[in-house]
Amino acid sequence: MKYWLRKLDIWLRIYYFVMIATRERCKTGIEELDSILNGGIPRGNTVLVTGSCGTGKTTLSLEFLTRGALMGERSMYISVTEVPEKLIENMSTYEFFDKNLVKEKKLIFVDLQEIYVKLGLEKLEFTLEDVNILVEQIIKMVKELGIKRLVIDSITSICYRLTSREQIREFILQLGKALSDMGCTTLLVSELLPSAAGYSQYGVEEAIADGIILMGNLERRGDLLRTIQVIKMRGTTHSRAKYVLDLTPIGILLAPLLKGGSVEVR
Amino acid sequence: MSVSSNIVDKLSELPPASSLALYVDVNTYFDALRAIVDIFATKNDLYVFYISSTIPSKNIVGLLEILGVDTSRVFFVDTISHLMANAGEMSDKFLYIESPTMLENVMLKIEYLLRKYNDKKAIVVLDSVNSMAIHNDLKILSEFLHIFVTSLRSWESYMVIISMKEQNSEEMMNMLNLICDDAYDAGGEEK
Repeated sequence: MKYWLRKLDIWLRIYYFVMIATRERCKTGIEELDSILNGGIPRGNTVLVTGSCGTGKTTLSLEFLTRGALMGERSMYISVTEVPEKLIENMSTYEFFDKNLVKEKKLIFVDLQEIYVKLGLEKLEFTLEDVNILVEQIIKMVKELGIKRLVIDSITSICYRLTSREQIREFILQLGKALSDMGCTTLLVSELLPSAAGYSQYGVEEAIADGIILMGNLERRGDLLRTIQVIKMRGTTHSRAKYVLDLTPIGILLAPLLKGGSVEVR
Repeated sequence: MSVSSNIVDKLSELPPASSLALYVDVNTYFDALRAIVDIFATKNDLYVFYISSTIPSKNIVGLLEILGVDTSRVFFVDTISHLMANAGEMSDKFLYIESPTMLENVMLKIEYLLRKYNDKKAIVVLDSVNSMAIHNDLKILSEFLHIFVTSLRSWESYMVIISMKEQNSEEMMNMLNLICDDAYDAGGEEK
């Protein structure tokens, strides 16, 4: 009996590794990040990109979408806090960004405030019904436009209008499931206070998401370094080490964090 | 044979992707610069990515121009001008880093240059390991140089680490011997 159980265990392990190795990847286009993720984000995953302000969350998300659009995957950015025109202008400083992607609707920017107006959701607090209406609208857009990559920046601003942790849980679960079924890989940008202990503002987002990419600030002798770390990513083996990040005109570059004398600031 | 031509000969002996610890003193420093930045880089049609941590990049350009060296193929990663509140406008030609302690950013700026200017091979010059050691302890500096030299190998770039003989310690020489493929003493006074 013991022999068969051991044999079964070995086969299950082999099956698990084959499944992980063969799962289709959504390349972020950020070379080192794809290498950290063993080829990219498993397609259909919902990933929380979390960190405090100025850590590069929006830039990373926009590069993910732009690189995807350049690879022929239609991408959509749902902005809650910034107007699309300003985001596009900021992106123009990057050499890989092509405004034609926006003109040809390969890269689509959506202002969530306009959706709120359209759906009659201009209120400070959402009911469960409002949450369902919002989720349905996002899913409808993704389906109709054939979106393969989606960014919601930020999920924290939406969760702010939800009245309970159950609502937040319901919202992210519903959205994540539907998007995954459509093969859409999603980044949910999450704002984190520098003093926060977990990986998300409400503590629910991190548990539901398939992956967590933590972005932070690290102080070394008065200098502030931008850092990135993949905390979890379902469906792939990945490095959990911390890397230093630089936002260059050719895109995000990563280097391994040197281990000597740094203090976490977030 | 002049100091410059000796250094060029030494570099020419090395295959691409090699790293060299170059020991100079104040008398041979300028000959070394001319040998690397002008003669060797021109002969092999290489870009020069110059990490300055001793003298601000603008001053090095001035010095090279006095020496009659063409600086059009030289790009600077300047780690010292910010500290002296002397940094100019950022461009690919002059990339500024806030301080020599931001060692990862040095790697990232060089990687940026290597990726962007990839039509030719490059020689990366670190000037100097001694001034880097003023701002960083030897442990983190060793870690940095080890990772940096290894990553430059994948780009098939030459790496020259300049070390001022007057300021060398035994630990530093041991570190350079461990990290670099070869070492060359350009002559001159030791401490």
